Amino acid sequence: MNKVFTDGLSFALPLLIMAIGALYSEKSGVTNLAVEGFQGVGAFFGALAATLLSPVMGNGNQLIIYIAIIAAALGGALFSCVHGLLCIRFRANQVISGVVINILSVALTAFFTSAANQAISGSASNKFVLDVSTRFSVPLLCGIPWIGGLFTNMYPFEIIIMVLVIVLWYLMNKTTFGMRLRACGENPQAVDAAGGNVTGIRWKAVMISGALSGIGGICFAYSLIGNFSPSIYQGFGYLAIAAMIFGNWKIGPTTLACLMFGLAKSGGLQLCIAAQLPSIYTDLFLMLPYVLTLLLLVFFSKKNHPPKAAGEPWDKSKR
Amino acid sequence: MRKKDLFLARRLTGRYASLWVSVLAILLMLVTASILLLLIGKDPLAAFRSFLQGCGMIPKAKYGGGSGQLTDLMDFLNYLAPMILASLAFITAFRAGLFNIGISGQMLLAGFTATVIVGYNKALSAAVAKPLVLLIGLAVGGLTGVLIGFLKYRFNIHEVVSTIMLNYIISYLTGFLINSNYVDMMTRNSKVCTPEARLTLTNVMIGGLKCKIPLSLVLAILIALLVSFLFRKTVLGFEIKAVGMNRRCSEYTGIRVSRTILLSMGFSGAIAGLAGVAYYMGYTNSIIPKALPGMGYDSISVALLGSGAPIGSIFAAVIVSLFQQGANYMSSSIGVAKEIASLITGILLLFAACGNYMKYLAERRIQQAADTMQPSPAPGEQEDKEVKAL
Repeated sequence: MNKVFTDGLSFALPLLIMAIGALYSEKSGVTNLAVEGFQGVGAFFGALAATLLSPVMGNGNQLIIYIAIIAAALGGALFSCVHGLLCIRFRANQVISGVVINILSVALTAFFTSAANQAISGSASNKFVLDVSTRFSVPLLCGIPWIGGLFTNMYPFEIIIMVLVIVLWYLMNKTTFGMRLRACGENPQAVDAAGGNVTGIRWKAVMISGALSGIGGICFAYSLIGNFSPSIYQGFGYLAIAAMIFGNWKIGPTTLACLMFGLAKSGGLQLCIAAQLPSIYTDLFLMLPYVLTLLLLVFFSKKNHPPKAAGEPWDKSKR
Repeated sequence: MRKKDLFLARRLTGRYASLWVSVLAILLMLVTASILLLLIGKDPLAAFRSFLQGCGMIPKAKYGGGSGQLTDLMDFLNYLAPMILASLAFITAFRAGLFNIGISGQMLLAGFTATVIVGYNKALSAAVAKPLVLLIGLAVGGLTGVLIGFLKYRFNIHEVVSTIMLNYIISYLTGFLINSNYVDMMTRNSKVCTPEARLTLTNVMIGGLKCKIPLSLVLAILIALLVSFLFRKTVLGFEIKAVGMNRRCSEYTGIRVSRTILLSMGFSGAIAGLAGVAYYMGYTNSIIPKALPGMGYDSISVALLGSGAPIGSIFAAVIVSLFQQGANYMSSSIGVAKEIASLITGILLLFAACGNYMKYLAERRIQQAADTMQPSPAPGEQEDKEVKAL
């Protein structure tokens, strides 16, 4: 039971930070299907930094993880500029741009991972091996019956993400920047008339989105997968988008949606282990979050309120 | 310099603007790919030549026994057939303003169902099995498409989300079924289907060369003509295009939008289903569990490069397939990682996606040129331009 909560939370939080990334971009009026690509490329940059630094700073140095997270955020933000360039500058179709980026990122990371490995170690392997992250339990809280599992065996990044989520919620809902960003997604003409810079705000939003997705990606690489390889592209980005839509483009409900996905996934796996089913049955349980999403969307989609201007390139001369 | 600019600008705003955008995208892609190849210290010309050699377009230096240029060419056509079908599937939905991102999933489900029902049935003769495979492909893909369309208009679930969810569900479900019932212990893939059911004839001897004959290529070209006919000559095709351009306007003119969405998504799924059987029971004859075919995504770049035109997509499919299919030979002869093929496809898609911006720039340039030549253009000339734009 404890393990369900522990694993559920460590899956839900990286998913959440990616979902909030997508949310920032969409709220500013740029449809973002590229989260899957952003998180992969972000994780690539993080893993590359970790691989380069580990001989210098010594194996197993935990500081590397934090540097990797920062590198992933920067790399994700850098790569998201491609999406910004296509959607904001070149007025391309935003859904197509997202698909382009996802295709491009899989190829890019695979290509450059082998190239980097060739240069560093001489063998063209397609993965970066990462150190194991330490885990800790919060004293006192982990002793609470039933939900104590939430506070046991935590990864350090989980705390970082929790803090980030609160900051991001504040930024979105309580600051001028956040208000303008939300207005850009509803009525960019109004923002322009009020003296705001629509293009600038959308650029910032897309880059925030890339940075957050990158953080999500490197966290998955450290927790769930344990290295950086093409298996980072398992569709977490798409699941994050589903969580965002399910959460009706609001940070609070999105958090709940992510927690539900995490618990459904870990719960299914533990159930599978408890029932002593052969390992091929895990596939059926891995399918669970996706089936759940589709079913829940059937019930909740009608009332959804997506940002009105999302998907439309901004044209100053339009009224 | 200025005159040259205008030459390109005229082409990009003229009658064949879409064609010129594609040509420009291909040229830009070739330049970018060459720079990339130069950066990693390879000769771009040699690389492009080996892509062509791998597809049997130009002869290789030497061949193994029983194979020749024709063998490679037939292999290439065998890959091309499902690629054309998959891009047609994307186009049919795209024209109605819908993004069928789930072509991979629909291909996999149709291919799996047809393999299980017909491919493992040894009693059926070729004359029964092959049409049956096509029918199952059509039905399974079509039903999946209709389901997505239904979710879209009845429950307001965006098709991009539902198709992605379905992709994963189909991938895990078929993976589980293959691993539990139909796995070949040696290859870890599904068991191979019977030659009677396979849509590609293998080991046919032509002039002493062992060749594959892809029957599905005929089907692909036939469907391309059909889709072209649908959009050019039929009421339904017109309605689909109208819904794609402006949903609300079509509703007010009396088009039944829900029916149009269901039908175009159904057609799209059905053609994706055909692509699936052409891929899994033609190009390959077994299924790798839990792997969505990358072709489903490549087909989007093909459709975009063909600027949404059914016949144009045949030519676009040739170009994208050249890189995908030629990558193996290129990789072994030049020593560049195979992934560069996907990288090239991605770059191509990147430039093709900027097509509207190119047209916009060209229009502005012509406008500027006209403004500097004479302060106010003659009324007749302006009219002429407007007619051209229409």
